[in-house]
Amino acid sequence: MLVRTALFALVLALACLPSPVWAHASEQGFVLLLPTEIYTAAGVATVGLTIVLLAILPAWVAARLFRPIRLVALPRFALHHITSCLSAGVLAFLVLRGVVGPHDPMVNPLPLFIWVVWWVVMVALQGLLGNHWRWTNPWTGPAAVLARLTGSRPMVRYRSRWGHVPGLVIFLGFAAFLLADPAPTDPHRLAWVVGGYWYLTLMGITLFGPRWLLRGEALSILMRAYARVGLLGRMRGRVAMGLWGWQGLARPKVSTGLAVFIILMLGVGSFDGINETFLWMGFIGVNPLEFPGRSAVVVQNLVGMLVANIALLGIFACCLALGDRLAGTRRPVLDAVRLFAPTLLPIALAYHIAHYVTVFLVDGQYVLAYLTDPLNTGADLLGLGHFHVTTGFLNTPGTVRAIWLSQAGVVVAGHVIAILMAHVLALRWHGNNLRAIIAQAPLAIFMIGYTFFGLWLLASPRGV
Amino acid sequence: MTDNSKAPSRRAALKTLAGGAAAAATLPLWARYTHAQTAEPIRIGFQVHRTGIGAAYGRWYDRTTQAATRLINDAGGINGRPVEIVAEDDGTDPKRGAEVVEKFASQHNCDIAFGTLFSHVVIGSAPRAGELKLPYFVVSEGHHVASGMLNRYTLQPGITDVKSQVQAMAPFVMENLGKKVTLIFPDYAYGHDHRDFFSAAVEAQGGEVLAKLAIPPTETSFTKYFPKIPRDTEVIYHVMVGPAVLTFVKEMGEFFGGRGPELFGFIDSLEAIAINSPGLEFLEGTHFWEGMPRHAQPDQSEYDKFYRAQVGLNDRGASLNDPTDVSTYGHMFGCWETLYTVKQGMEAAGYRGPQDRAALIEAVEAMSIIPHSNEHPQGPKVFNGKTHQVFGQQHISRIENGNLVKVHTTSIEDTFYPDEVDYTKQPF
Repeated sequence: MLVRTALFALVLALACLPSPVWAHASEQGFVLLLPTEIYTAAGVATVGLTIVLLAILPAWVAARLFRPIRLVALPRFALHHITSCLSAGVLAFLVLRGVVGPHDPMVNPLPLFIWVVWWVVMVALQGLLGNHWRWTNPWTGPAAVLARLTGSRPMVRYRSRWGHVPGLVIFLGFAAFLLADPAPTDPHRLAWVVGGYWYLTLMGITLFGPRWLLRGEALSILMRAYARVGLLGRMRGRVAMGLWGWQGLARPKVSTGLAVFIILMLGVGSFDGINETFLWMGFIGVNPLEFPGRSAVVVQNLVGMLVANIALLGIFACCLALGDRLAGTRRPVLDAVRLFAPTLLPIALAYHIAHYVTVFLVDGQYVLAYLTDPLNTGADLLGLGHFHVTTGFLNTPGTVRAIWLSQAGVVVAGHVIAILMAHVLALRWHGNNLRAIIAQAPLAIFMIGYTFFGLWLLASPRGV
Repeated sequence: MTDNSKAPSRRAALKTLAGGAAAAATLPLWARYTHAQTAEPIRIGFQVHRTGIGAAYGRWYDRTTQAATRLINDAGGINGRPVEIVAEDDGTDPKRGAEVVEKFASQHNCDIAFGTLFSHVVIGSAPRAGELKLPYFVVSEGHHVASGMLNRYTLQPGITDVKSQVQAMAPFVMENLGKKVTLIFPDYAYGHDHRDFFSAAVEAQGGEVLAKLAIPPTETSFTKYFPKIPRDTEVIYHVMVGPAVLTFVKEMGEFFGGRGPELFGFIDSLEAIAINSPGLEFLEGTHFWEGMPRHAQPDQSEYDKFYRAQVGLNDRGASLNDPTDVSTYGHMFGCWETLYTVKQGMEAAGYRGPQDRAALIEAVEAMSIIPHSNEHPQGPKVFNGKTHQVFGQQHISRIENGNLVKVHTTSIEDTFYPDEVDYTKQPF
C-alpha cells in the first residue's frame, strides 16, 4: 500500500510539474493513417467464413487438413544431452557478460539473447516448427551429467496431486517480470534472475527428478505446449509434418493444470498488448504522451495481468459450458476445458509473433551488431560493413502497411487454425456434425470476438 | 563555499576553449594520450533512453554521442585521457533515472552524468545528482534548469530551452503570418508550457490569442475540434505530439482544404518523420520551428557539413546507411555540443578526478560566448552561468516541395529572458 501511495504521489508530482516531454510519432502514427477498420473487418469476416464453411462442408474435411505426412526416419543417435550442455555453456557465458559486460541493454548480449533470441525468436520457432527445446534447453544435459557423476536419484517424490501448480506459479512470476518489472532488460539485474532461475531449476530437477521440468519449470512447460502446434513432430518412428496443430490433435486432452497454463499463456500475451494502449493508460489515469515509466505502473500491470487471466479463464469456461448446454451433452465443463484449451495455442502463438514482429526487426539488428563485433574491438565477423541500427521502415508508410498486414495475417491465421482444431475436436466429442456445430457456437463467437480484439490491439494507438 | 580563487577565470576558459582542440589535433598520435599508460579514462555516465517512450530519441542521442566521443578521443581525449562512455538505460523512467545517476556515482566511478532528454527523467534524477555531487549535464530542452527548479550540479550547456525558443518565434509569427492566433496543444504540461509562453509572447508583440484549444492526450480523432477555431484566426500555432500527430495534420488539412489560416508548428511533432511522407502533403507552405535545420540549406556552414559527415547523415538529416531512417536532427546536436563543453570545461578546470567536480562546474559557469565551430555546429551560443542554461539562434523553416527551407534565423538576443535563478549562489 505504501509503495502504491508513493508511486501515486510520484505520478501526481510529475503531472503537476512543467515538463515538456515529446512522445514520438513512431510507426503507430502511420498505422493510424491506414484503413485498419477495413482490414479488421476483412480479418473478422475471414474467421467468420471459416466457421460457416465448416458448418457446410462434410465432417471429414477439417480432419483431413490436419493429416500429417511422414518424412524421414528419426535419427538413431541422441545428441540432445550434448546440445543441452552447450546451451547451458552459452547461457553461463551470457550470464557472466550480464554481470561484467556493458550496462547498455542493446550492447550487452544477455538481454539481447534472452529477450530477442530466446523469447521472441526461439519461442516463435518452437510453435512454428516444432520441439527444438529438446535440444536447446539448458537443463536436461547438465542434469544428466550431474546424475551420472553423483549417481544420485531424486530425493523427493513429486506428488501427482501437485499437478502443474508450481509451473503455474512460476509462469505468473515470469509474466510479472516481463510485464511489470521496472527494468527486465537491465543486464546486471537480468543476470541474477536468469542465473538464479537456472540454478534453482537444476536444484528442482535434482530434488524431484526430470518430472520437475514437466510440472514445475514454467519455460519448459510453455515450450512443450507450443511444440504441440509445430509443423514438425514425430509419428511412428519418423519425422512427420502437418498443418500447425496436427500434433495437438493427435493427443488432444490435457491435464487440468496444463489447460489452465495454456489459457494463461494467451491471457498474458493478450495483456502484453493491452497494457500499451491509450485505452488502458486512460483507464489507469496515465498520460501516454508523458508515460511515467514502468516503475510507476508496477501495481497496475500486476493487477491488470491477473484480472485479464481470470477473465479469460471465466469467459472460456462459460463459452464451453454454454455450448454443452445448447448441445445437451451434459458433460463436466472441466472435461471440455481440458479438451479445448489446446486450441487456444495457435492464437497465443499468433499474438506472440504479431506482438514481437517489430521488436524482432529492430532489436534483431542489435543482435547482429553484437554478433559481428562480439568483443567490441571493431571487428566485422559477419561482413556487415559500416553498420547502424535503423528504424526507417517503421516511419515509412509502405513498410508500415506491409508489417501491419503481416501481423494481422498472422493473427487471423492463428484464429482460423484454432477454429479448425476446435471443430475437429468437437466432431470427435459430439459424434455428429450438427451437434458439434451447435456446441461450438459460443466458442466460435468467442474466437470471432478475439480476432476483432487482436486486430484492434494492432491498430490502436500505443503509448510505449 | 568553495574558494573562488581556485576557479579559472572566464578568459582562461575561453582561451582553452578556442585553443584546446586545435592544439590537441596537432599532436602526433603517439603523444596524444600523454598519460594513457597510467591515467584512467574520463568516464562519462550516459543516461540513455534505450527503452520506454524515449527510445527513438535515445537511439539518435547514442549515435551522436558515439560520434563526438570518437572524435574527441581521436584528437587526444580530455586532458590527455581517453573518454569512456558508460551507457545505462533509464527506461525513460524518472525513478530509474535517479537509480542510474546513483550507479554512475557509486558503482561505475563516473566523473559526470550526461545526456538525458525527457524532462520528467531530468526532474526525477537531478536531485539525486545534486545529493551525490555529481555534475549532471542534461540535453533536454526543458525550462526546468533555467527556472531554478533544479540545483547547482545540473547544467544544460548544449541545447536551448523551450521558453527561449517560443519567445524568439513570436515576432516572426506576428509580422509574417498574422496577429490573431489560435493555439492547439495537448492538454498537459508540455502543451501548457507552449500555451503560456507563446500567449505571453504574442501579447508582448501586440497580437491577440483568439482561442486556446486543449486536446486530451489520448485523443486520436480531431475533426470535432476544428469547428471551434474562430473564423477570423490568421495563424494556428500547433504543438501536437504522439502517435496521433499525423492524423491531426491530415484531418486539419482536410478540414481547411488548403484555404485555412497559416500554420506554425514545432518540429518536435515530426522528429524522425520524413517531411515528404504521404499524408503530410497538407503541411506544404506551413512553417515550423527547428533547433537545427534538418535539411541542408544553401548557406550550410562547414560545421554543419562536418557534423553530418561524422554522425553519418545525408543532406535530409537521414542516415547515410538508410535514407528512410530520419534522425532527431532538431535535438541530438545537443549531445555533441554538450560533450565538447564538458571537454572544454574539464580542460579549463585542469580536471583530474572527482575531487575537481566543483571546479568543473565553476569552469562551465565561467563560460559565456561559444563560437560557431565544429564543436558547436548548431550555431554560436551564449552560456548563462547563473541559470546554467545556454542560449542560441533559432530557425524557422517553411515547407516547400517537401523540403524544409529555412526562412528566418533569430538572433541570440531574441531568446533572452530575465534570469529566474542564480545557481552560482548555491553552495556546492
